[in-house]
Amino acid sequence: MVTLAIAKQTLEDMLRRKILLILLIVAVAMIALGPSVGFLSPRESSAVLRSLGLAVILLAGLLITVLTGIQVIPTEIERRTVYTVLSKPVQRYEFVLGKFLGGLFTVFVMIASMGIVFIGVLRYQEGRFATEMIQGVMMTFFQMTLLGALAIFFSTFATPVVNFFLSFGLFIVGNMSAVTESLLNNKNVATRLIAGAVHYAIPNFGNFNIQNKLIHPQVVIKDMNVFIMQNIAYALIYSAVLLLLAIIVFDRREV
Amino acid sequence: MTASTRRNLIAAIVVLFALTVVLQVRIDPTVADMNQGRKTPFAGLSTEFILGPLLGMQQAVAGLLWVRADEFFHEGDYDAILPMVRIVTWLDPHNLDVYITGAWHLAYNFTDSSERSDRRYIPAAQKLLEEGDANNPGVYDIAFELGWQNTDKIKDYVRAHYWYKKCAEERKGMDERGELTQPVPMFVWHQLAHSLARLGRIDECIAVWRKALAMSTEIVRKDPKDYSKRNVRDSERHNLELTLKRKFSRYQHEIDWELDGKLTKGIDPITGEPRPRDSYLFLNQDEIQRKLEQFKIVGETPPPMAVGQPRPPAVVPKWETAFDVRPTFTADKVLELKGRFNVGDGARVTIRLHDEDWRPPQLKEFTFDIDQNVTLMQDQHSVRQGTWGRKIDMSKDPKMYSFKSPYYFLVFEFDPRGTSPFVHDRFGWSGEGMTDKKYLWEEKEKDPPNRILRKVYRISRAQVLRRTPITEADVFPTAKYVELQTQAQGTRSE
Repeated sequence: MVTLAIAKQTLEDMLRRKILLILLIVAVAMIALGPSVGFLSPRESSAVLRSLGLAVILLAGLLITVLTGIQVIPTEIERRTVYTVLSKPVQRYEFVLGKFLGGLFTVFVMIASMGIVFIGVLRYQEGRFATEMIQGVMMTFFQMTLLGALAIFFSTFATPVVNFFLSFGLFIVGNMSAVTESLLNNKNVATRLIAGAVHYAIPNFGNFNIQNKLIHPQVVIKDMNVFIMQNIAYALIYSAVLLLLAIIVFDRREV
Repeated sequence: MTASTRRNLIAAIVVLFALTVVLQVRIDPTVADMNQGRKTPFAGLSTEFILGPLLGMQQAVAGLLWVRADEFFHEGDYDAILPMVRIVTWLDPHNLDVYITGAWHLAYNFTDSSERSDRRYIPAAQKLLEEGDANNPGVYDIAFELGWQNTDKIKDYVRAHYWYKKCAEERKGMDERGELTQPVPMFVWHQLAHSLARLGRIDECIAVWRKALAMSTEIVRKDPKDYSKRNVRDSERHNLELTLKRKFSRYQHEIDWELDGKLTKGIDPITGEPRPRDSYLFLNQDEIQRKLEQFKIVGETPPPMAVGQPRPPAVVPKWETAFDVRPTFTADKVLELKGRFNVGDGARVTIRLHDEDWRPPQLKEFTFDIDQNVTLMQDQHSVRQGTWGRKIDMSKDPKMYSFKSPYYFLVFEFDPRGTSPFVHDRFGWSGEGMTDKKYLWEEKEKDPPNRILRKVYRISRAQVLRRTPITEADVFPTAKYVELQTQAQGTRSE
């Protein structure tokens, strides 16, 4: 209950942030303007609209998640409100979890809003509800869940600026999973070891990029549902690892 | 937090982390499947586009690049499109339209100042399509485009048939969600039948028309109110009847098309015989006389012919085409041709000039970099009242016609397989009714064999630059030319 109360307070606090609302408005506007690329052939137009829509949701989701993740704990410390909270019967782990969940709810509200607009635009453009796009929006949300957990973990010991670059940098490296995976078969042992370490140790954000299947439905992916479930499990388990680490670090931190 | 709690948490972290590694190992093969054909996320991209792929937005960047490429197309800046096609297909190897449109640009839109295609790009166009087809197994669109390009541009009906067959028998069409659940459109089967006709495999062609008609009949039975489907069925019925009638007229007994349009419209779909039988019988002595004159021209002995008896087929007797041409370079790199050809108006002669050592290249992988030193010109000209000829000015396009080789082959060809039905009506699908005292060449390696007309000159650079005239002493033996052309040709992807 304490965790949920902190999460609720964090969500309310975040939704009041103008920067996040501006990001949401810009993203929604970009999605809504998608049909203006309609001068291509119907199939090309549909592919471009879908790819741009998913990309806008991903980009906006990324910025919202990072901006939320790097702020939720340091802001409390900076404002010294953390003392008030922790002086109450609140465990430190509850505080960390509450902050994470609050940030996650914020990201959920934002991504869901963009997703609804996106599917609405596709309904207008293609004349049908592209329900398969829910998969794409959902995968973006779980990708951001993992990124949010990473940002929360870094926020327990790093300043917001350092955290921003760390989270962003690891997101980029994690997106290159196709490259690291291909290097696992490299002839050079050292390259293989480094690629293996990067591939398995760093959160693999590239796993969640299923846009290609959604943009080109003719692409046949064996056991798509299993693949999605594996990724959701990966996001949740890796987030749990990061949150446990965050709890350990925050527990030892002097505030 | 107590030390034991911390130890427990660390143990939990280790276990959970191991789980993520196990999951990652299971996820990797599917990710590799999805990335089939895709290069590194940022391959070939300029700096302003790199960030997108790095953030996992390859498709969006590919989409934006393709929108930009479309703008270049409308501006006529075709050169700028090629690198973008390459990058877009790297970023998004499942975008079918990029392969198809890119290959169309390569094969059709690079031209000289007289709108002749730069055929040096055709192998690249084919390779791009083959790459697209390999990256999108199961989809019919690119295989169909390969068939069409081989039919329309390259006139390689063997390869056209290969791709149409693959397309019709092994591929699927998309439903409204874009998933591969539908049979291929009927026009794929139609093109397969046409490609068989182009190969002279008429019985197989008829079998495909019958199959297509049976499929369409079933489709119409399920949805009788859809007039577009009924139109498709009716066109198949028409094409089947027409092919049966043509086969009958060309190879069994010539039909008198002028007798009575209404009478000769009927045909028995089983036997392939026209109804009524009158349409292929000699009805009077004048008709016999006309046929006798044809035999006289070629010096053949006619079979017994009488009123009331069936006419010999259209390809009997063989028709002397008296094919010939006199080429002259009237100015530097300006070729003027004067030819004769005893065939109906509209038949087209192919003119090809290429480096002596040029062979159709077999690309191992797609590249739009072509050898600028190669000279390869191909054109066609129609016959009018037994003559043909034109002026081909290659002096204005030095990038296409560099003339760096010391020797060239100048080839004039007529291939009945690529010609119109009215010529087939006289010569048959494979030139069975065609003969020529000088330039007939039988392509015996083909099944069925094909009879074409070909005259080849071997000319020097000095002749191209009008320093010495072209004479009949420069005529090169067709057999030797064919031997040279088939040398050093690799095998294609099939």
